[in-house]
Amino acid sequence: MEELLEILNDINPDVDYSKEKNLIDGKVYDSFSIITLVSNISEEFDIEIGPEYLVPENFNSAEAMWKMIQKIQEDED
Amino acid sequence: MELLTLGFLLFCIVLVIIYYLVPKTMQWWVLLAASLYFYAMSGIKNMIYVLITALSTYAATRMIQSLTDRQKEWIKANKKTTSKEERAAYKAHIQAKRRAILVAALLLNFGILCTFKYLHFLIAQVNTVISSFGASPINDTLKLIIPLGISFYTFQTMGYLVDVYWNKCPAEKNFGRVLLFVSFFPQMTQGPISNYKDLTTELFKEHTFTYHHFSWGAQRMFWGFFKKMVVANVLSAYVQDVFANYASYSGITTLIGAFMYSVQIYADFSGYMDMMCGFCEVLDIRLTENFERPYFSKSIAEYWRRWHSSLGAWFKTYVYYPMAMVKWNQRLGRWSKQKLGKTFGQTVPASVALVVVWLTTGLWHGASWAYIAWGGVNGIFIIVSLWMETVYASWKQKLGINEASWGWRAFQTIRTFILVTFIKVLPEVGTLSDGFGLWKQIFTNHTIPRSFHALLPFVDKKMPLLAVMIGTILIFVTSLIQRRQPIRQWLEDHTNYAVRILIFAVLFIVIVYFGYPASGNGGGFMYEQF
Repeated sequence: MEELLEILNDINPDVDYSKEKNLIDGKVYDSFSIITLVSNISEEFDIEIGPEYLVPENFNSAEAMWKMIQKIQEDED
Repeated sequence: MELLTLGFLLFCIVLVIIYYLVPKTMQWWVLLAASLYFYAMSGIKNMIYVLITALSTYAATRMIQSLTDRQKEWIKANKKTTSKEERAAYKAHIQAKRRAILVAALLLNFGILCTFKYLHFLIAQVNTVISSFGASPINDTLKLIIPLGISFYTFQTMGYLVDVYWNKCPAEKNFGRVLLFVSFFPQMTQGPISNYKDLTTELFKEHTFTYHHFSWGAQRMFWGFFKKMVVANVLSAYVQDVFANYASYSGITTLIGAFMYSVQIYADFSGYMDMMCGFCEVLDIRLTENFERPYFSKSIAEYWRRWHSSLGAWFKTYVYYPMAMVKWNQRLGRWSKQKLGKTFGQTVPASVALVVVWLTTGLWHGASWAYIAWGGVNGIFIIVSLWMETVYASWKQKLGINEASWGWRAFQTIRTFILVTFIKVLPEVGTLSDGFGLWKQIFTNHTIPRSFHALLPFVDKKMPLLAVMIGTILIFVTSLIQRRQPIRQWLEDHTNYAVRILIFAVLFIVIVYFGYPASGNGGGFMYEQF
């Protein structure tokens, strides 16, 4: 989770990621930020995030992103 | 079946009566029968392409789903007895089969679409090339008539196919339901391009007649008729005249014609959406909204999120994200970050994806270089603003611009509307050189018209122009109100029943008086051609 928060703060440091639950639906992150975010997560966690994961539910909060990362890691096992 | 006819109105009335009389579990069968009847009225031969799309998608999704289920069961049964490598090999084997089915279905359906839409254009380009080498050109004798709504229903159905491939939704077992999803008549000719989950949730729930749905739906339909018949159809004659004769008109007259086109296409397309969303509301079905006051956007990118937004969402989901995330593009992004710096480098994968999105969006709208250029110009504006974001931010800081101020936001809105108008007219005048010719005329012909006739030579009667101006102001005011609440709610809160009846009676008279005489200008809808 630490690494994920580092990535998020690097893209947009003005957000309180422990509270924000509406990153996509609230338009805090746009489609360009999503691409940057996904690239950095893929690189950091050495996982492949396919386009099927690019839905608002997976990116609306740091917690949701963390769950998605864990799911992809489990599936890759 | 023409939409602006008494025949269509009668069709809608009969449908609503039967729909609410049959048992609720049968309602979607009534919609399917009505949709097939509606489509058959546009040409019985066209039915075959809808059926091919529905059947091939049904078969492909069922096969993909069966492979997905088989893989899940195999993993579950063999997780403890197999190594990670063995499981990965099995997954890769199943994935290859799933991908082959997906590609075959995509090729078939996009192949049909491309044949109808792009074959003539392709032959013309090949002929241009081979003629320059002195070879005799290919004789293009094919007479292909594009089946109604093929661009819309093909995109919608292929979205569903990819969703099943991505495990976003399970494959539908009932072919009739897939056929209704493909052919649902209020949206198959001009969209919105819905995703499977959203539309089928609405189509297959049980619907109860309520006065509220009926009243609100009818009001929205009425408003759509007004926008189309009074504003769009009257403007259609003026705009056609300007586009045909711009070379002999002054720059200011041509500019007015260009702005009239912006109003016309909005009234036409959003008018259609109002009619269909309103009719679906009567049926207790909520369609995906396609417009969110697009001319109030503050950038081209925002405009495209608010104009024909279901097409934008489709391209974002099925072209932009996959293109931005594809391995070679990600590698290019990492390389660019190292060589060109982090800020610019991280825009590269998105920029590459945007180039593909905008060229295909241009092609989706029409098979011509003018539409490809139109897509390219939109893409250039969006990509350059992405690259310049940090530069613009520093400029604004240096100039002390308050981004939240009313003046700055108004400037952004007006600037975007002007840019959008100039881009819009490019493919609509005729060829690409006609489009550039119209731009040139606006900027280089500084003749000052000395009379009303010289300013607006295409206006022969002033009353329809007055109706259009009042109609445009009404659309503008309605949009302003809708920023805060739905206009129908506002009417209920601020007027009594008698006043609302009076408002719609006036609209009705205006439609009959100005709309019917103008229906010959543009009886069909502009987006039907796409």
